Amino acid sequence: MTSTTPSTAVQVPEQAEPPVSPALVEEMLKLLVKAVRAHQLYLPNNPMYQRAIELLRGSFTPIWDRIDELPLIVTEREFKWSGRAVHSEDSKSESLPWIFYKDGVREIRMLRGFETTEAEGLLGIVQRARNATPEDDDLLSMLWEKDFGNLRYRFVDLGMESAAAVDSAMQEEPPKGVDRQQVEEEVEEQKAQSGVVNLDDFDSTLYFLDDREVEYLRSEVRREYEIDMRRNIVSTILDIYEQQTDPAIREEVSQLVDNFMLHLLSAGQFSTVAFLLREVGDASRRAKDITPDQRAKLAAIPDRLSAPEALSQLLQSLDESEHLPPQSELLELFEQLRMSALGTVFGWVGKLQNTKLRPMLEGAAERLAMSNTGELVKLISSTDPAVAMEAIRRAGGLKTTAAVAPLAKVMSDRDPALRQAAVHALAEIGSPGALQVLEKGTDDSDRDVRVTTVRVFAAKSYRPALTKLEAAIKGKVLREADLTEKMAVFEAYGSLCGDAGIPLLDGILNGKGGLFGRKEDPEVRACAAMALGKVASSGASDVLRRSSNEKEVLVRNAVSRALSRQTA
Amino acid sequence: MTQTKTPSRASVAMASFSEMGGDSYIRRSGRTFILAFYGALRAVKLYPVENAAVTKSLDELALVAGEIIRHEHELEVRVSGEFIFLNSTRLRLDLENYASFSHILSVFRGASIGVLTVHEGPAARDWLVFVSALQASTREGTPQARFHQILGKLEQTGVRGFEIGPPNESDENEFHEKAKEAAKRTYAQSVTVTKDLINSVRMGKGANIKKIKRVVQSIVDQILNEETSLVGLTTIRDYDEYTFTHSVNVCIISVALGRRLGLTKLQLYDLGLAALFHDIGKSRVPLEVLNKSTGLSDDEWRQIASHPWLGVLALFGVRGQQELPYRSMVVAYEHHMKADLTGYPRSIRPRVQSIFSKIVSVADGFDAATSRRAYQTIPLSPADVLKEMRDNPRRGMDPVVVKAFINMLGVYPVGTFVVLDSFELAIVHAANPNAEKMSRPIVRIVSDDRGTILQPGLLYDLAQQDASGSYVKTIIKTADPDRYGIRVSDYFL
Repeated sequence: MTSTTPSTAVQVPEQAEPPVSPALVEEMLKLLVKAVRAHQLYLPNNPMYQRAIELLRGSFTPIWDRIDELPLIVTEREFKWSGRAVHSEDSKSESLPWIFYKDGVREIRMLRGFETTEAEGLLGIVQRARNATPEDDDLLSMLWEKDFGNLRYRFVDLGMESAAAVDSAMQEEPPKGVDRQQVEEEVEEQKAQSGVVNLDDFDSTLYFLDDREVEYLRSEVRREYEIDMRRNIVSTILDIYEQQTDPAIREEVSQLVDNFMLHLLSAGQFSTVAFLLREVGDASRRAKDITPDQRAKLAAIPDRLSAPEALSQLLQSLDESEHLPPQSELLELFEQLRMSALGTVFGWVGKLQNTKLRPMLEGAAERLAMSNTGELVKLISSTDPAVAMEAIRRAGGLKTTAAVAPLAKVMSDRDPALRQAAVHALAEIGSPGALQVLEKGTDDSDRDVRVTTVRVFAAKSYRPALTKLEAAIKGKVLREADLTEKMAVFEAYGSLCGDAGIPLLDGILNGKGGLFGRKEDPEVRACAAMALGKVASSGASDVLRRSSNEKEVLVRNAVSRALSRQTA
Repeated sequence: MTQTKTPSRASVAMASFSEMGGDSYIRRSGRTFILAFYGALRAVKLYPVENAAVTKSLDELALVAGEIIRHEHELEVRVSGEFIFLNSTRLRLDLENYASFSHILSVFRGASIGVLTVHEGPAARDWLVFVSALQASTREGTPQARFHQILGKLEQTGVRGFEIGPPNESDENEFHEKAKEAAKRTYAQSVTVTKDLINSVRMGKGANIKKIKRVVQSIVDQILNEETSLVGLTTIRDYDEYTFTHSVNVCIISVALGRRLGLTKLQLYDLGLAALFHDIGKSRVPLEVLNKSTGLSDDEWRQIASHPWLGVLALFGVRGQQELPYRSMVVAYEHHMKADLTGYPRSIRPRVQSIFSKIVSVADGFDAATSRRAYQTIPLSPADVLKEMRDNPRRGMDPVVVKAFINMLGVYPVGTFVVLDSFELAIVHAANPNAEKMSRPIVRIVSDDRGTILQPGLLYDLAQQDASGSYVKTIIKTADPDRYGIRVSDYFL
């Protein structure tokens, strides 16, 4: 029940002998306060909470044995029943009576059955009211919306100024009488006119709704609560923008659109944000008599989401969110990202913790990179290594030849990981220019970069690198390298040299050094064997067969593997 | 045992205190009972008693009633004003049961039954006797005579499971007086708050939505509790305060219509809020244009026609809420758009007018056309307005909503000033609860046949018949109360 009472006083009937011992009511209220606290501290499935509710419910039993309803008068610090205080709390701001009192509730009346179906609802409301901000609904609205059947309350409406009474005294003096003749004349006069309602027009049966009409209304109400009102508002304000040419109105609406987008973002309405951004584009194209300034201002709205700060905020909140919005909504939103978002997206692709979000952002990165190669190439030189790395990766994946020049610069970067990525990217681009730049990689200070580079040469059959490889094989530096690097260089050489390289490799594999000794150590000889395997000619096989009885296990194994690969 | 019973004062007093609560057992089973009762009344009316449809409906009724008695240990149906109470709980009206409600109210009223208590045990054949007696009684005589006919029939057949009692007029009057006072308070507060809202927006200040919410909640409570008093107050069409009273009137009429369409309490609240806000855009139209009585230039009309979209912009600035009032924005924007979108403002993007906009559009159109305002010094009669809404497709109103609206208001809407065939003057107080008698509303006779003005007047149900079955009084025409110096709203205050 919601009812107002005069603000002056609530009449409290004093009763000498209450129908129930006040101690029972006091106990129930004590347990109610405990249940409020339990509701605040524990989840509904927590045994502590369940126990508190159970005790509260049980405390009503002896009360309902004697009465059917329990009216409690609410004061600032107390609940009163039957004229006496049955609950009081010292701290006003924290007290349960105050929660009710401050919003105007002056009496609450619990009815039999309240404890079973509605007590928990009340606990929830009390908690909401305690935490409510000034913008939130007050306790009265919460109680009203909850529509309790077994909890009634009376309140004074604190927010209402005393309205001037609607009173007939304010009206003019009514007439004392009317002239019967006037009535009769008017009846006669209008009988022939339209004053008399034609009841045929209003055959009552015409106004009963048939099943089809009832279903229509029902479906309309359903639709009212199913449609996305926010999307409707986006359409509305952009319709206003397009049709109203007044600059002040356009300014006001574009501000609203801007703020609304932020509001929608914070509310997680990503699909609607995407819709808004799309429609903003349409509005800027279609709006009647739009000026360049107005168009620019409108066009800036989508850019705001793509700005690094805004987009970082969004991605961070998504990454931290326990429940990701539907994939379709996010994809729709990401589709609206602009070129300026590319750097931020690249920066976040590597950072994301959420494994479901990552592929969606990867998709967005792919789309943005494909359609904005200029920006992509620029980002290769980003000072943010994560961004540069992703840009390098994407440039390679897209075989962006325009990226070769910035990648050449990256080949001199201090960060070996970037140089390594650049090698891969250049390899993927695979153009003569890209491979030429790649030659730098053979002299790189980082072993992995060098290894990758020579492997790329092998894979790409890049013969211009042969000279460099031969020099490396002949040189002393490679002798100091680890087996993997040696192997990579020799194999690359073998892949590119053809029969012309056999003498050099034969010399390394089988060349004699001092007395009964070999010229090269076993590792280098084994690498030469593997390189001969890569040459894959009968001449190379002949050389390998000669070493098939080699005593050095490492060399013999390498020869054997090389031969078997050739056979295969 | 068959005897008469007077409704308890306690249970009637609950009427003013009781409110729509959670969907308790009694509400759910009460609805089922009302539908079963209605089904039985219809079956008995349409078919011979041995027909299977009659047997089935009576079995169903006996079963439902027995189930309630087993669960609640009592079954008392009480009719008070426009409401049916089952074991002191007021039953909800909704789209699925409003016809049944209307019919049962009308049958009870026609037989002057205020309360029916069903004692444990009536079998289907007992119900047959009672329902037949009730059905037969509607055909002739005064309500009091019919009441005694039913009692006699029950005595004669030895059916003892039913106890009927007349309406308790003093409790009913007390209930109506309380409702009237509450309605006046609600109306006054609503106008004050609306004025504050519109003036705040006009001055560029934020409006306090909490107060607005509270008045809409009060209006919804009032409409759910006792509709007539508040709907009656919409006849206050204060020329000077038109913008404010109009918004409140549209809110009240919309909520009343929404209730008739079966909206839930919270949906009624959404609708009421949107209706109250529907003209908020006018707060951004210059007063000199709004108040101009004649000769509006094209530009001035354009300014007035801007109020729907200005309303949307204004609602972005309404403070004190976590979420923007989207539904209100949509209604403010669409309420002149017409169902086929040929109205204003023109819609560029695809749109379907919302049901709330359709409802508000009907309420707005009705209140505006029947009010005197700056550029309409002679208002139209409510009946003419209804006819126009119904017959003129260019008005663009949803025909089903209009149909339901006429069903709600009756042929003669509340506040219509009428002349009776007795040459008495009367004001329509409420539509007849029996929807089949929509041309016979409950009126307040404000002038007797000699022309003496009666204040506060006498309530009279035009469905009353004399012993021969003829109607005692009938409306012969609607009239302009100004011609008789009568102010309709005085009779609702």
